[in-house]
Amino acid sequence: MQAALESLLRARKLDVTLTSAAGRTDAPPDRFAPTGIAALDAALAGGLRRGHLSEAIGAPSTGRTTVVLQAIAAATARGELAALVDACDALDPASAAAAGVDLARLLWVRETGDAARALKAFSLILQAGGFGLVALDLADVAPATVRRFPWTTWMRVARIVEGSDTVALLVAGERVARSPAGVTIALESPAGARWSGTGPRARVFRGLATSPRIVRAH
Amino acid sequence: MRVPSYDDLTPQRGSVVGAPTTLFACLYEGGDDVAMPLGDVRVTPPAVAIAREFSPRIAVAGPRMVIVDVSGLGRLIGAPPVIAAEIDRAARQAGIDVRVAMAPTQTAARLLAIGCPPRMVVTGDVAAALAPLPVTLLCELEALPGGLSPRDRARPFDTLSLWGIATLGDLAALPPAALSSRLGRRGVALQRLARGWDPRPFVPDADTPRYRERLELEWPIDALEPLSFVLARLLDPLSAALERADRGAAAVRLDLRLVDRSTHARVLQLPAAIRDARVLRTLLLLDLESHPPRAAIDVVAIETDPAPARITQFSLLERALPSAETVTTLLARLRALTGEARVGSAGLVDTHEPGAFEMRAFGVTARGAQAADRDAASPPAVTLRRSRPPAAIRVRADGGRPVHVASPRRGQPSGAVIDAAGPWRTSGSWWQRTRWNRDEWDVALAGGAICRIFRDRDTGRWFMDGVYD
Repeated sequence: MQAALESLLRARKLDVTLTSAAGRTDAPPDRFAPTGIAALDAALAGGLRRGHLSEAIGAPSTGRTTVVLQAIAAATARGELAALVDACDALDPASAAAAGVDLARLLWVRETGDAARALKAFSLILQAGGFGLVALDLADVAPATVRRFPWTTWMRVARIVEGSDTVALLVAGERVARSPAGVTIALESPAGARWSGTGPRARVFRGLATSPRIVRAH
Repeated sequence: MRVPSYDDLTPQRGSVVGAPTTLFACLYEGGDDVAMPLGDVRVTPPAVAIAREFSPRIAVAGPRMVIVDVSGLGRLIGAPPVIAAEIDRAARQAGIDVRVAMAPTQTAARLLAIGCPPRMVVTGDVAAALAPLPVTLLCELEALPGGLSPRDRARPFDTLSLWGIATLGDLAALPPAALSSRLGRRGVALQRLARGWDPRPFVPDADTPRYRERLELEWPIDALEPLSFVLARLLDPLSAALERADRGAAAVRLDLRLVDRSTHARVLQLPAAIRDARVLRTLLLLDLESHPPRAAIDVVAIETDPAPARITQFSLLERALPSAETVTTLLARLRALTGEARVGSAGLVDTHEPGAFEMRAFGVTARGAQAADRDAASPPAVTLRRSRPPAAIRVRADGGRPVHVASPRRGQPSGAVIDAAGPWRTSGSWWQRTRWNRDEWDVALAGGAICRIFRDRDTGRWFMDGVYD
């Protein structure tokens, strides 16, 4: 009886929002989009789920932007198009290029003015379809502003991307939303930065030591 | 003196020698009256239509003269004399009297059309074929600057006449250096024409029919919604016409004549040839949303610049990319939402200026050069989140090294500096207003944030350049 019901729901594309099977990781490999970070891909069982809304959250300097740019770089390296809705105009093209992003294949919507407009742009890109990864960067938007969006907004976003080949990815300071089969990549940096050199004049910043924690629906 | 003609080889008229790689046909509406002044009499549309029946590569070469590139038509129609006969037959059926000449060069074809009525085909020694023709034929072919008096026009021909040079063969045989010293560049140019050499490569006239629709409204329209229906009515036939010609619109021009007798004109440059009427209508409406007319609309006219239609090859091995129509519509919607300059692709510029980039048009392009493969197991590159423009901050320094950072802006990191690297001095563009001269520091703050800050060496002020994330 349960199998028949799940099959019916799957046929009507309602399985990912209404059943407990949403969080399963037994999807075919082509439904995962690798992020290009081996440790993270291993923890995600292959990468971010296509057709779902995921999020990368954390405090500043925990590696949220690095994860997003690596995922975009991996997408463009696969020949896909990617889009970044940059609510606060924080993207550094030089960093993106250094991360391996093919800038010509990245649609950048910058300085949207406010979070609502950024969300509208995010929805438009998802509705257009054809992009491998679409990210909405709300990391520098005040959490209170993000919390002001009704929860139905995120359900609608999840519904737009559902069934498509697109990975929808939110970047924020704290939990915002994810679809049932999407994941929350909670980034922490307990070890802080990696430095080299000992003397005050010889110190060089080498990078961030981050540790992602994957949260998914059960 | 005798021109080797096709009559010598076959019962038909014309001459054929060899098989050149390029072959031009000249249609000359001269009738039998060779001395008839050419004046402003232009090529008649039927002559152009006949020329287009045989090849899309045609050029109107002057009064009453059309050049057709018939190279390669041999496999379709037959030998050059057959092609000439077919052109002649088509002209007779159309009721126009043309002379047809074919030669490996445009110049030779034109001279033979004027000088050897009614039909002449030369595929071998052009100079020999032209040799018996009178030198005065070159008057018709010379490209001279405007404003030249008839006397100046005739001067070299008078000189040639005094020398006893009567035919093109005589002129072609003169030593070029001596000719140049006596008649200058014009004399050399005339000699090149006499030898049948082309002064410039063949440039076919573009076949650009106008794709234009216009509608006068019974009642003025002052809103976009009713205009949407009018646009659909105009764009549907335009789209159908473009499809019939296997063309797309590279640009769309919308002219709205307003009730105040002014014209509101908008031109959309499309990144790819598009002929989908719905997409074009959406793009025009989105553009009008951003640039509305100042008064009600009386007349709507749309014109498109045609471009060859796109041929898209999909791959079984790669995911399908969005179509040009989808991307163009999406970009138009995003621009209407956020502004013109805020949507596109980032491009790096050739400068050391920190944070420099330029916005470029985004489009679905072929896969470009790939960045070097990064080992997925190696740590990712350091990524900076820019503070754009750099935000002013307060920094307490000890011996020049920052020890505390205070950001007045909410949400920006502040706190004691627990580790720092620097200063990294950089400067440039001192000759421009965009000059920079600064000492950069990478600092780890007590709150956990790692930032790039800098001190402007000209003003001594500190700024937050960004946060490593």
